[in-house]
Amino acid sequence: MTDAVVAASPGRRISASALPALGVALIWAFLAIFLVYPLLRVFYDAFSDDTGRLTLQNFVAFAADGFYQRSLWNSLVLGFGTVAATSVLGFAIALLLVRCDFPGRNLFGYLTLIPIVSPPLVGVLGFTFIMGKAGTVNVLLEDWFGLAQPINFVYGLHGVLLVETFHLFPMITLNVVDALGRIDPSLEEAAASVGARGWRRLSTITLPLTTPGYVAGALLVFIWTFSDFATPLVLGVHDLLASQAYLNIVQFVDRRLFRMGLVISALMVALAIVFLVAARRYVAIKDYSSLSYSRVPRRRLRPLAAAGALTFLSGVMLLSFVPYLGVALASVGKGWSMTPFPLHYTSLFFERVIVETPKYIVNSFLYSALAVVLCIVIGVPIAWILARTRLPGRDMLDGVNTLILAVPGTAIGIAYIRAFHVELPWLMTPLTSLWIILPIVLAVRRLPYTVRGSYASLLVVHRSMEEAAASVGARGLRSFGDVTLPLIWRGVLVGSLFSFVTSLQEASAVLFLSLGGWETIPVGIFSFYIAGSANEAAALGVILIAVAVASVLAINRIAGTRMGGMFG
Amino acid sequence: MKIALREVTKRFASTTAVDRVSLDIGDGELFTLLGPSGCGKTTLLRLLAGFVAVDDGEIRFGNRRVDGLPPHARNIGMVFQNYALWPHMTVRGNVTYGLRLRKLSAAEIGRRMAAGLARVNLTGLEDRYPGQLSGGQQQRVALARALVLNPDILLLDEPLSNLDAKIRVQVRGEIRALQRDLAITTIYVTHDQEEALSLSDRVAVMREGRVQQVATPKTLYERPANRFVADFVGTNNFIPGVVKEHADDYALVETPLGRICARRGDRAAGAACVLAVRPENVTLNGGGENRVEGRIRLAAYLGSTLRYDVETAAGLVLKVDVGDSWQHELLPAGHGVHVTFPASATLVLAED
Repeated sequence: MTDAVVAASPGRRISASALPALGVALIWAFLAIFLVYPLLRVFYDAFSDDTGRLTLQNFVAFAADGFYQRSLWNSLVLGFGTVAATSVLGFAIALLLVRCDFPGRNLFGYLTLIPIVSPPLVGVLGFTFIMGKAGTVNVLLEDWFGLAQPINFVYGLHGVLLVETFHLFPMITLNVVDALGRIDPSLEEAAASVGARGWRRLSTITLPLTTPGYVAGALLVFIWTFSDFATPLVLGVHDLLASQAYLNIVQFVDRRLFRMGLVISALMVALAIVFLVAARRYVAIKDYSSLSYSRVPRRRLRPLAAAGALTFLSGVMLLSFVPYLGVALASVGKGWSMTPFPLHYTSLFFERVIVETPKYIVNSFLYSALAVVLCIVIGVPIAWILARTRLPGRDMLDGVNTLILAVPGTAIGIAYIRAFHVELPWLMTPLTSLWIILPIVLAVRRLPYTVRGSYASLLVVHRSMEEAAASVGARGLRSFGDVTLPLIWRGVLVGSLFSFVTSLQEASAVLFLSLGGWETIPVGIFSFYIAGSANEAAALGVILIAVAVASVLAINRIAGTRMGGMFG
Repeated sequence: MKIALREVTKRFASTTAVDRVSLDIGDGELFTLLGPSGCGKTTLLRLLAGFVAVDDGEIRFGNRRVDGLPPHARNIGMVFQNYALWPHMTVRGNVTYGLRLRKLSAAEIGRRMAAGLARVNLTGLEDRYPGQLSGGQQQRVALARALVLNPDILLLDEPLSNLDAKIRVQVRGEIRALQRDLAITTIYVTHDQEEALSLSDRVAVMREGRVQQVATPKTLYERPANRFVADFVGTNNFIPGVVKEHADDYALVETPLGRICARRGDRAAGAACVLAVRPENVTLNGGGENRVEGRIRLAAYLGSTLRYDVETAAGLVLKVDVGDSWQHELLPAGHGVHVTFPASATLVLAED
């Protein structure tokens, strides 16, 4: 009976087996066109002159230029400095949260997550309102102590370091928390039984076991800091590679400068790839995770130690939340200059950015929603291929997915400008003149979150569950829909939500590609602030924060607090 | 080193994991804690190691009272169920870690590591990482790591449970030989009664935090103290009844299967009891003081033996082992038989 049906419809059998192949081909085509090609194009341009001949002269010019030398040095100092600072903060907080018990521990567990999903551009704005030369802190110091000259907290390289550290330390914390949770308690008990105690045990057993997770976090912190141009520019720091890349590209006049922008972009990508490969090599040979069913019990801190922990955490949180206070005040404050706090309050700025020019919000949600749809359509099948198949090219797919996490948005934005500034056939217009390029670039940038969320939950659904469904008669898509999907939708949703929030906040790539009328909220914040309208920028910032907080709460409700896997 | 436990108690929230346990363990003895999961045997081991603190009672190693001391001050060596080898250190790193903490000279560390690895036949694997070793090798590294510090007492927490059946028997023998050579007092935790019987000097059977019986393997098997021990160690048939009278070394017990003559126990005449008789002591159509009619319900061929389930008139099912299965023709289900068993192999136990 079954045989007869199959034999009678040979056409269906062929299409049923061709469909997956077509899907895989489409996924690869998308990645090839919108990720691999633009990056290769940047490298080609960096290694060629105006006539298209291959040459190293661009790099020679770069290396010979004293200004670029200083920028490279500054960028490296900033990158490694931020990694060091976030590591100290991140480890301390992770150890407190995982290994100790004190009042308010859960609350701090939640608070630690907020800075990471909060928009970076908003963070730096808020710092300038509160800690700037005419900010609240300086005004109060002048009023109380008669300070003659304002203290420069934020303008300069040290300011960038400060802002990046308090924005990025949760990346370390999350990864270390995750890694600490995977350490089997018996490993530490074994150390205790041979006499290792306290700091000795921590430094020789516990901390080394967290390195795989830690390295992944540190890598992201470095790449982020190294390629961020918005924060330094707001703080008036121009002699960094990322700042130079942005300024060189957007001026569009001097061809030599433009090419220097491409060279810097190629350098960023190359550095990111080198670090990524090194980190993956390192992590691959050191998989310490064990299926541990028990956890190291939390140590109840004595009152004095608990007070110390609370003071430390409150201090860190206070500094992380300074920007939000600043932005919130600036968004409703009128006449805020040379006073610690605004003199009058108004809803004028919100009306301006919501009612008068709703395009920022409309564009942001439209582009991000479209991007997430793309992420799901492409990302869930990728996750399935990674988790369930041994298709040729599977490892490369995994590599590409991780590569996206490492490639800076700045570089992607520059690559798109270079690669898609050619007229498309039939349309007679380049892709860079069509707004659809924004959802596409957002989808490419945020694809890994959807893939990782889906992949993690697919791993939990044991293959035998699908096989059990098949054994009672559910075929292919049927068993996927009835068994797999109900078990993984949570992971897909968390991943997609994360893709969505981070799309809303994407500044770097979008700043390069956005044209008049396409402005998203981050673009609005940047251009308002640069144009001197700090209050409107702050109002948009508050909206972005509200969306971020709502999303974190939603993600926590759905997934619990273990988000560490998203960043590894 | 002798170990003495007096009224040791450990409570977790609402449960009492270890309940007033008193034990005396002799110098150089291999002493096993046996019981089902959740019986408190692992908690008791961790109390000895010092990973958890006693709520009541005292623990002495030799003349020294150790409850209250941290693990490193007790001079114990411990092998964990999952070995707990540090994955970021080589075999050398794992084995010498404790020696390095004690600030011994490099020469001394090298000498003791070499001796330790030679003892467990791992010489040559110093630079491997735990992930590059087989389960049996990891097990031996864990053993070497515990022994290089010359501990007074060796604690083993289900050390064989992660190994394949064949290797398990082999490593079991190696552990026993090593322990004898070193004459080190050893506490061994397991839920596998065959393992416990085969390698222990003495065994303590535990249930719900309490010690049920402490005895040599032979006594434990042949003279279990109560129904729980009789049931947990090996296989037994249980027949409920009431003691009628005693005569010399024997007791007459009224049961659903009729009057049964058993070895005299400590149950008084008139008391309710349960009779225990092992399948290997029951014969089909043979001789013996006790004789019961029944019908074959099921036959299971186990290779070295053949086990019948025989349903008696009263509905009670008795397990019967036929040892010489090679000579025996398999009886079909429904076949009528009579089963016999001697009074000397029938024990009178208290009903739990």
